[in-house]
Amino acid sequence: MLIEVRHIHKRFGPVHANDDISLTFPHGRIVGILGENGAGKSTLMKILSGYQSFDSGEILIDGQPVDYRGPLAAIAHGVGMLQQDPLDVAAFTVLENFVYGMPGGLRIPRRAARRRLAELTERLGFALDPEMPIAQLSIGQRQQLEIVRLLALGVKALILDEPTTGISAEQKAILFDALRQLAEHDQMTILLVSHKLEDVIALCHEVAVLRAGRLVGCRAMPATTSELVTMMFGQELPPVDRQSADVSAAPNVLTLDRLHLRGKRVTVADLSLQVKAGEVIGLAGLDGSGQELLLRACAGLLKPLHGRVIVGGEDLTGHPYRDFLRRGVAFSAAGRLEEGLIAGLTLTEHIALVTETGTLVDWERARRRTSDQIARYNVRGRPDSPVETLSGGNQQRLLMALMAEQPVLMALEQPTRGLDVDSSRWIWQQLLARRERGAAILFSSSELDELVTYSHRILVFYAGRVYPVDAARTTIDELGRLIGGHLDGA
Amino acid sequence: MKSQTLTAQAALTALPIILSLAITALLVMAVGADPREVFTLVWEGAFRDLRAVGQVVNFWIPLTLCSIGLVVTFTAGLWNIGVEGQMILGAVFASWAALTLDLPAPILVPVEILLAMLGGALWALLVGVLKVRLGVHEIFGGVALNALANVIAIYLISGPWQPPEGGSVRATPPFPAPALLPPLSDTFKVSLLALVIVVVAVVGVWLALRGTRWGLQLKATGKNARSAMLLGVPTGRSALSAFIVCGMLAGIAGSYRVLFTYNSLRPGVSGGIGFLGLLVVLLVANRALWAPLVAFAFAAVLGGSARLKIALQLDASLAGVLQGFLVLTALLSNGLRARLAPPTPISMIEEPAPQPIPAEAAHEQ
Amino acid sequence: MARKILLALTLVFVCGLAIAPTVAQDEFIFGMVLVGPFNDRGWSQAHYEGGQYVEQNVPGAKMLYFEKLNPADAPETTLRDVVTNMVDKGAQLIFTASDEFEEDTAEVAKEFPDVIFINVSGDDAYAGTAPANVGNVMGTIEWGKLIAGCAAGLTTETGSIGYLGPLINFETRRLAASAYLGARYCYENYRGLDPDNLKFTVTWIGFWFNIPGVTLDPTEVTNSFFDSGADVVISGIDTTEGIVVAGQRAKQGEKVWSIPYDYVGACEEAPEICLGVPYFHWGPGYAQIVAAAKNGAYQQEWTLLNPDWTDINNPDTSGVGFVKGAGLSEANAASLDDFIAKAAAFAQDEANADTIFLWQGPLKYQDGTEIAAAGEALPYIAPLGEAPSIWYLDQLLEGMTGPSKQE
Repeated sequence: MLIEVRHIHKRFGPVHANDDISLTFPHGRIVGILGENGAGKSTLMKILSGYQSFDSGEILIDGQPVDYRGPLAAIAHGVGMLQQDPLDVAAFTVLENFVYGMPGGLRIPRRAARRRLAELTERLGFALDPEMPIAQLSIGQRQQLEIVRLLALGVKALILDEPTTGISAEQKAILFDALRQLAEHDQMTILLVSHKLEDVIALCHEVAVLRAGRLVGCRAMPATTSELVTMMFGQELPPVDRQSADVSAAPNVLTLDRLHLRGKRVTVADLSLQVKAGEVIGLAGLDGSGQELLLRACAGLLKPLHGRVIVGGEDLTGHPYRDFLRRGVAFSAAGRLEEGLIAGLTLTEHIALVTETGTLVDWERARRRTSDQIARYNVRGRPDSPVETLSGGNQQRLLMALMAEQPVLMALEQPTRGLDVDSSRWIWQQLLARRERGAAILFSSSELDELVTYSHRILVFYAGRVYPVDAARTTIDELGRLIGGHLDGA
Repeated sequence: MKSQTLTAQAALTALPIILSLAITALLVMAVGADPREVFTLVWEGAFRDLRAVGQVVNFWIPLTLCSIGLVVTFTAGLWNIGVEGQMILGAVFASWAALTLDLPAPILVPVEILLAMLGGALWALLVGVLKVRLGVHEIFGGVALNALANVIAIYLISGPWQPPEGGSVRATPPFPAPALLPPLSDTFKVSLLALVIVVVAVVGVWLALRGTRWGLQLKATGKNARSAMLLGVPTGRSALSAFIVCGMLAGIAGSYRVLFTYNSLRPGVSGGIGFLGLLVVLLVANRALWAPLVAFAFAAVLGGSARLKIALQLDASLAGVLQGFLVLTALLSNGLRARLAPPTPISMIEEPAPQPIPAEAAHEQ
Repeated sequence: MARKILLALTLVFVCGLAIAPTVAQDEFIFGMVLVGPFNDRGWSQAHYEGGQYVEQNVPGAKMLYFEKLNPADAPETTLRDVVTNMVDKGAQLIFTASDEFEEDTAEVAKEFPDVIFINVSGDDAYAGTAPANVGNVMGTIEWGKLIAGCAAGLTTETGSIGYLGPLINFETRRLAASAYLGARYCYENYRGLDPDNLKFTVTWIGFWFNIPGVTLDPTEVTNSFFDSGADVVISGIDTTEGIVVAGQRAKQGEKVWSIPYDYVGACEEAPEICLGVPYFHWGPGYAQIVAAAKNGAYQQEWTLLNPDWTDINNPDTSGVGFVKGAGLSEANAASLDDFIAKAAAFAQDEANADTIFLWQGPLKYQDGTEIAAAGEALPYIAPLGEAPSIWYLDQLLEGMTGPSKQE
């Protein structure tokens, strides 16, 4: 199927998210859509898949102009999109989700559906038990389900938005094989939005690069990472040095003493840890392996079953979060709009919330401070923009602006999740500046190179077990194996 | 483009009114009456002279007090359905003072009102503590405490505060003159003090919500309690303070009912005014300055319908029908407006969704 | 938005034509303010039907009614506003049909000196505290309760009667006591049994009707009466649980009966076990008051509506009545008729004008205080605190089981 977009324009208020974009996506090809955060990739993909209307321009499929409203209409035209968070129904089983949305209303022949599901999963190498409830699936499995569901609905073009976030290396390999097969064997059109350049390099036949809403280039692959980065940012980024500062003489800021933590799925037992001022500790592992339990325990958000949490010499075990906050512990969660920012409040209101101390709010002053922070942290937004209108990268920048200037300890859940290379680097500059002032950093990440680059020490979490690694000596490959559970081999 | 949206806005605002009037008119015709006459009667009932306006204002005062209190709890993301019980407790506390304290009016009246605020606040605080400390949703806590407040009032009326002579058992004895709020005049029977309190409450809440740190923290708690807590807002305390403020205002509303409207404590003295207040606040999308205006419209339609009931011997629930349609169509057109409007991030009609308030010491499982 | 609503409403209202009320020459408009629904099969309906009776029997009389005037059902309206609207529509006399309206009626009456107000069941006019344009009216339902008690005393096989009381006050005490006196008299005189063996238990539920969580549940109370040996339950509350429960238990083969209250049609719930119902019949009394007011001849009065002893169920003359129920045996019905005849004879004797049958000494309160010595009659009413009277009965009578005061 040949998809063409012509002169697509889309504005969100003052932001020109898509500015006269014309592109052709031929069948049988995997096209990577690149661009830094806020470049307009997601907007374009949502327009293509019917989730978003556009102001002007047209979409042609196999040369015919189409005018569809809504994702169902797009699917009817053969275009399906795999969302970053799969849109499945948690209470249903795999099979129920598979038939959900199929034509034929309630009288769907279950047996035929089951056969079709088995056929598709087998061909693509997916492992899906039809009777498994969705709640028990991993993100990768839910993705697989969504792909076969869209295929069963007859889509000829598949759009994937950041499909490799939160899935294991093994699942990534399966996904990529499946996508290649669909492109080459089924001659499908596949569009991949990703900020992970290695994924793009591994998978795509060609790339299109957006910057600030405009199409700035297309090229056929292969290309090197630095070539792609230059296209995205208009310049090459300098390499980042590994952390090497010696912190052995620094004082302890955090002591965890035989900590026992229980989460919904995993339990971390008997964890002891000393963290020194200025030290950066990376927490590696698949999502939900226990890293978030540790981070939350350090911030007073999770009460340990046993053991003690000592911050700056003071035993804060069992104290409320506010006491940790007062002692200089800064926490940021992975879900920025769930835990961190407040949708519905403006930037100025956020700043006022953390800076104003009197009975009355001095809105003039808060606005001024907000403007200052916007400039300082390079946030693309205005003081009176509601935070939910910011892109992910800008939300993370705002969170940095809200964080204490001189924390003792920062406990950060995936601080660069969903950010492009440039934004990630910028966030790390800010974090490291605080480290220079004496803060210790505990962070979790699913990006192995980020862990290796910034950490002094890495703790690998696997099913609640914790395995310490010296960041200076480890390699990405070794880390990958450890995360996959091969702890004994290390 | 601008003028186009303006027209659309005006149309959407007029739509609920026209629609609900039309539906009510059809209903009226269905029962064989003349809709023009019906509307005229309601109008006369509410506005024919000062006396009638006074009647409307007398209902408007407690309704506005409840509504403005509910604006506070809604801002904090709380469905304070217990506002009825808070009114009743305010009425009970004020009645206690009125029946037992022998003081001159300039001292007694303030004491009554302060006690009423205390009673309402205590009752609201109970809902709040149940919610913040024990995790009982405020709707369940509120409903339970409403029932309990009724029990208390009826026990007092039929027991300890029963009049000495037989007969009048559905109310306490009438309060002595110094305990009552004096009316402005014989024709315009409205309490000046209450009017002043309403104005102070509305303006005060409006200012507090937009200009104080407390108001900002309430708003943050209401929109996302989890994030607010992480940003250092004492969300539990915020929620409790919202309950207390609402309870105080509801308490005053309750005291007005006994100290002015009825001159005695009666069963069901809250009369569903608190629930009506919830409706008002939903309709005005939680905007403090709009609440008194919409409350007045409600008071006028409801108050005016007494005349309708007498003149046509129609069931006065017709006014309730009109009111119901008004709310329904207004919410409908608000929803429509949200759909048609360009994607402004915060929709004007968005009312804060209730959210669990994590206690400050909340720990995850 | 609200302002626009108001504006639009204004426009609509102004466009509609104001229709001035026109009062015909011979028309006399009276108002009827009800505390409950006009069709409640109880207190309010009895008044509503009384008003209809006036319309049919007094030429030119026309009723305006307002139902459900109470803080919970009509929070936006007060008696003052209802009265104002009724007067605007031409009402010259207004019945306020509840003791709940007593204080408000006195208040509002001062503002409308040209309108006559009749408060039902109040006693301001007797006490002399009412404004000149306020009168009271009440039916002497004590007679009905006497007869009801007699029916129970005639019927009970276990010698145990339950009385389902509302809350405790002068009125409810004297009605329960009247039933007791009737039961005791008939148990002794028609059955030849020792009245001291008759058990008469009063349980107060706490209010006029069931409020879950607030009052005792009348259904449960009735059941526990029957469970503890009573076989007749007399109801003093506004609702019908007593007869409903008795009907259910009778269907399961138990020999139980019940006597409801207030409304002439109340037996319909379970006719086969209904011994009868004492009821108010306001029509004739109201008609007299309205006719007098129409002719300008109404004098402020504390009016008592009495039974017409030639036929207590005559709809045109009797203010209080008792309809016998199908549950009453033929023999007992005959005894009851005899009892009614005795009561009639007593009432028609001029010497007994100020008292009621069976309220003769010796009568003692529960605590043993004598309120009427042997051979003495207790007066129907006497100023409160000066002398004991039926109206201001301070305790239940000796021989009755149950609390006299709220605990």
